[in-house]
Amino acid sequence: MKEYVLLMVSAALVNNVILARFLGLCSFMGVTTRIDTAVGMGMATTFVITVSSMADWAVQSFLLEPYGLGYLRTVTFILVIAAAVQFTEMTVKKVSPPLFEMLGIYLPLITTNCAVLGVALLLVEGRMSFIASTLFAFASSIGYSLVMVMFAGLRERMALADVPRLFAGPPIGFIVASLLALAFMGFSGMSTS
Amino acid sequence: MMMNTPADSATDYSAPALTEGIAHVVAINGGKVWLEPEQTGSCGGCAASGACGAKGIGTVANRLEARRFQIENPANLVVGERVVIGVRDNALIKASITAYAVPLATLLTSGAMAQWRFGSDLITMAAMVAGLGLGLVFSRMGAGQLLMRGDLAPQFIRRARPGETCNHD
Repeated sequence: MKEYVLLMVSAALVNNVILARFLGLCSFMGVTTRIDTAVGMGMATTFVITVSSMADWAVQSFLLEPYGLGYLRTVTFILVIAAAVQFTEMTVKKVSPPLFEMLGIYLPLITTNCAVLGVALLLVEGRMSFIASTLFAFASSIGYSLVMVMFAGLRERMALADVPRLFAGPPIGFIVASLLALAFMGFSGMSTS
Repeated sequence: MMMNTPADSATDYSAPALTEGIAHVVAINGGKVWLEPEQTGSCGGCAASGACGAKGIGTVANRLEARRFQIENPANLVVGERVVIGVRDNALIKASITAYAVPLATLLTSGAMAQWRFGSDLITMAAMVAGLGLGLVFSRMGAGQLLMRGDLAPQFIRRARPGETCNHD
């Protein structure tokens, strides 16, 4: 149990997808102008990362590894991620068309989100069990969503601040992101003893 | 500084906050109108502009057409008119929780229980897929309740002013 908790804390905070691994930066800058859009994108990404990592683990363990097809890993994972996004889009549309109307715009963006592929490749590198890899993927995406929502909150506040014209918009956004990354570096000093 | 500016007396602060967007009328069907969300000029200005970056999957026009929706016609709108529509501010969060958090919670719970009980990857995998299916059923029920309360329905606010866009920056 303790090892799973440590794995999840490590994935969400210490090795945060955005601020420590620098993955998913396009959505980090593009969809964080409002908190509710950041929550929508974060939740959609969490769902897709978790589901696609389950599928990626199965493909890696039962297809690529036994048949020595490791060189096809990246291409296969991209295909699996695209299929997972398509599955999510179709499912949400079937489950509730009004929900799809509201949330559908975020899904195509996830296909090209490098955080999804990055987490899948990290799972292979880590050689984890199925449950460990699913929890790692879930925690990584929770870390992603957490940073998205925090940054969106900061940007909403910055919109009311008197920022010098030279720094207004993305420049001050990058400065705040770097300060946030410095703050998250503090988690690397955590000790379990 | 805005702090000393007197509040606008016409503003109704008791009304629920709305997230606004612009759409144009593409068809009229009895007492209802079909609206299509408007494509914005640049990315990042509003939530709808997120779709502009996804040109790889179909064209923007196709995606906008797929996102047509219907509302009541309270102001005798005609085809081609631009209108401002809105959804409640927390509607997106409620919708995200219903669509994604509920299935994820059942998926992870069933996986954790199967792993604790059997300790086999294959059984855990099967339990997670079953948990996902169960979560989608709950999600459908939750979405139905949101729909009945009118939380997901966009509302007509007013006709858009000439040249008005959803970019407020």
